[in-house]
Amino acid sequence: MRTERYLPYALIAPSVLFLLFFFAWPLLEALLLSVRGGGGGWTLENFQRMAADLYFKDALKYTLLLALVVVPLQVVLALGMAMLLGGLSRGRDLFLYVWTIPLGISDLAAGIVWLAIFTERGYLNSLLQALGLIEQPQLWLSYETPWMIFLAVVAAEVWRATAIVFVILVAGLQLIPKEYSEAAEVFGATPWQRFWRVTLPLLKPSLQVALILRTILALEVFAVVVALGGRNLPVLAGEAYYWYNAYQNPGVAAAYAVVVLGISVLATLVYLRLMRPRQEEAA
Amino acid sequence: MNLRRLYMVLAVLLVVWVLLPIFLIATLAFSDRPSVFAWPKGLLPQQFSLETISFFFGVEGVWRAIRNSLAVAAMTLVFSVLLGAPAGYALARYRFAGADAYRLLILMTRAFPLAILAIPLAVRFIQLGIYDTLLGVALVHTALALPFAVLVTSSLFLSIPKELEEAAWTLGCNRLQAFLRVVLPLALPGLAATAIFAFVISWNEVFAATLLTLRERTLPAFLLTSLNDSPLPFRFAGGFFLIVPALVFIFVIRRYLFTLWGIASR
Amino acid sequence: MASIRVENVEKTFGRFKALNGVSLEVRDQEFVVLLGPSGCGKTTLLRIIAGLEQADKGRVWIGDRDVTLLPPRARRIAMVFQNYAVFPHLTVYENIAFGLRMQKVSPEKLKANVERAAALMHIENLLGRYPAQLSGGQRQRVAVARALAVEPEVLLMDEPLSNLDALLRLEMRAELKRLLAESRTTTLYVTHDQVEAMSLADRIAVMNAGAIVQYDTPMRVYQEPASVFVGGFIGSPPMNFLRLRVEGQRVRLGSLDLEPPAEVGAEVLLGVRPEDLEVYPAEQPQSFAAQVLVVEPLGPHLLLTLNFAGQAFKATVPPDFPAAAGQTLWLRPQPSRLRWLEPGSGRAFATG
Repeated sequence: MRTERYLPYALIAPSVLFLLFFFAWPLLEALLLSVRGGGGGWTLENFQRMAADLYFKDALKYTLLLALVVVPLQVVLALGMAMLLGGLSRGRDLFLYVWTIPLGISDLAAGIVWLAIFTERGYLNSLLQALGLIEQPQLWLSYETPWMIFLAVVAAEVWRATAIVFVILVAGLQLIPKEYSEAAEVFGATPWQRFWRVTLPLLKPSLQVALILRTILALEVFAVVVALGGRNLPVLAGEAYYWYNAYQNPGVAAAYAVVVLGISVLATLVYLRLMRPRQEEAA
Repeated sequence: MNLRRLYMVLAVLLVVWVLLPIFLIATLAFSDRPSVFAWPKGLLPQQFSLETISFFFGVEGVWRAIRNSLAVAAMTLVFSVLLGAPAGYALARYRFAGADAYRLLILMTRAFPLAILAIPLAVRFIQLGIYDTLLGVALVHTALALPFAVLVTSSLFLSIPKELEEAAWTLGCNRLQAFLRVVLPLALPGLAATAIFAFVISWNEVFAATLLTLRERTLPAFLLTSLNDSPLPFRFAGGFFLIVPALVFIFVIRRYLFTLWGIASR
Repeated sequence: MASIRVENVEKTFGRFKALNGVSLEVRDQEFVVLLGPSGCGKTTLLRIIAGLEQADKGRVWIGDRDVTLLPPRARRIAMVFQNYAVFPHLTVYENIAFGLRMQKVSPEKLKANVERAAALMHIENLLGRYPAQLSGGQRQRVAVARALAVEPEVLLMDEPLSNLDALLRLEMRAELKRLLAESRTTTLYVTHDQVEAMSLADRIAVMNAGAIVQYDTPMRVYQEPASVFVGGFIGSPPMNFLRLRVEGQRVRLGSLDLEPPAEVGAEVLLGVRPEDLEVYPAEQPQSFAAQVLVVEPLGPHLLLTLNFAGQAFKATVPPDFPAAAGQTLWLRPQPSRLRWLEPGSGRAFATG
């Protein structure tokens, strides 16, 4: 029976080893790779090459902008959907299922789906033509119209990944006892006040999780962008890919990876700090 | 009453928002070449045809990519359940020094964009001789799926009362027997959902898969690398085919959706 | 069937000392109840005997076997859990047969034992069902049948009735008593319900703060509590304790002149149960006066809360007794039912 004490360690050991090798170690390796020169010494060469690259500034700009636009949109939309779900009297299960379908759809697939809409002979142009707004197909996804590509990416990302936020929020809402809202109602709070003063503060932990998760995924955005705009809308993860694959330069690719990592960690810390639970909520 | 109707209208609009793009890509995938290039397009399919789809499957490398994708996803599934479930069980059943540190390690993996880590791994994989192998891709995908598997199985085992196991012990089972006879049958549906989830994570992953392979492309990697020089019908059919398993899987695991994403997110 | 012997068992959870050197003997075929408030260590003690927890110190014997280091499966015990722990994926039949299958008994014996256990618990007609199709009371019966089917040397029960509603609990209590009197299995039963303990036990071990504070037959535990804690925990309403001054080895209570035990100090606690107070509306010799604070009609009797020299206490009177708040009543305790306790430690003085 004394072996009991070691059993849990034996059970977690394989996953710990695995994560050390495939998570902790590559994390370190990415840092090392980015600061190691061709000769083997320490250098900032990779970062300098990255910063000097034509695409770098745009990639940084578009990646950050995408996260800034997409994540709030998704959270607001998901919050609306979660509240809407609570207000539905019939068909909740069906709506829940359909709304969460995008959970299973990959970013690449989402990009291709929205390509069908935004492409030259796609559904958007067909619709505009039917409305009499255009006569000839417009070219939306070209290097001359990066903002249109940006818009298409936003549409695809909101379409695909709002479901994740939605599920996290619904799960969080289920953990909030109905009594709080009912008590507020008894004391005369309107639905709007109940949402802002009771539901939303209690939902903070779930919101935090959703924000962190979505922001990190948004900073990794890659396949959607490639499918819709190729390199016409450069993003950080995409640049890392091109530097590794096309230019065969792991050092600069690693530098890009480090930038993405850095921004991710920073964003996580900001969220954790901004949404720190207050004492009374922790109780 | 009017409010109820408004809610219903909004809910249906959201359904359209989700389903319409899927419907459109399905329409394109099942029409002939001229309809794919037709302009302007109607909402409804012009005529049903397998031309586009069969063209997609006729392209060299597609079948192999599908086979690779299935193999990688299957390996990911097995690895993440085999590595994740014991850890989930330990977290659910034991209070041990280091449990919190372990939980933190698992949660930390979320604060980092894991796929990006494929870059340093690619370099190391070349040295290890598992670059451009299905195993290599599966290992990285397991790193993506493992944290979920741990958290999900932990909440799964937590939901099975410890007393059931204890009762089995008092009735003559050793630990392993009690697990196999009592816990496993009860955990099986949830474990299956976890496995399917790991499968979907792998099936959908593109960045690491592209970076870590040259010839042994998975389907998303194959599609991504041939996007620029392939015709629209090929892309549409490929996009549609990528979505299909996801639809089926989400339907199968819909009961566990909240365990998977909801609890896994605490 | 076998006796249980626990010697000097200690158990600590983190900084919390759950068991503080507990010793206990349960005779062969005896029904002993571990009674105490939540957190007193009674369930921990039961789980240590079952082998589900390891004691930090001390030993456990079942019969003449030292089982301290044996896993639960080797102890020849059976246990009934508070939440029943009926396996949801097995039918009632398979649940009852579970322990027998682990013992690899012959198919004939298995069938016979399952059917006998099911018959004892009156669940023969439920054998093909799954637990989800059963009510709480029926699940409880399955749990007991499953424990009895393996013919354990010792039966351990952890608050088995606490999840049932009041009426069902009453019914099951009587049934358990009949059943275990019949099967004569040595039983250790944990509960926080004093009525349950009184009704079922051959002997009650009252526990508080990780120690057994009294171990005796139900009536003696009730009538001669070993401490203020026991007197207050057992009985509803609990025993009254009046703090009185001792003057010249005598205690005056109204016109009563009482003789406390010889070893008392300057003050003493007088313990008396509410039903052991005779109540009179008019002044009586050999009595003390008290003011009525509250009158609560409880059906079979009235429960009075009274004030004597700033100390509140309770007494019960017949339902037709004329009593109203503010009134003065005269009370006389039955001399044979008085209990003297030491105010500092709360312990009772030995009775002569």
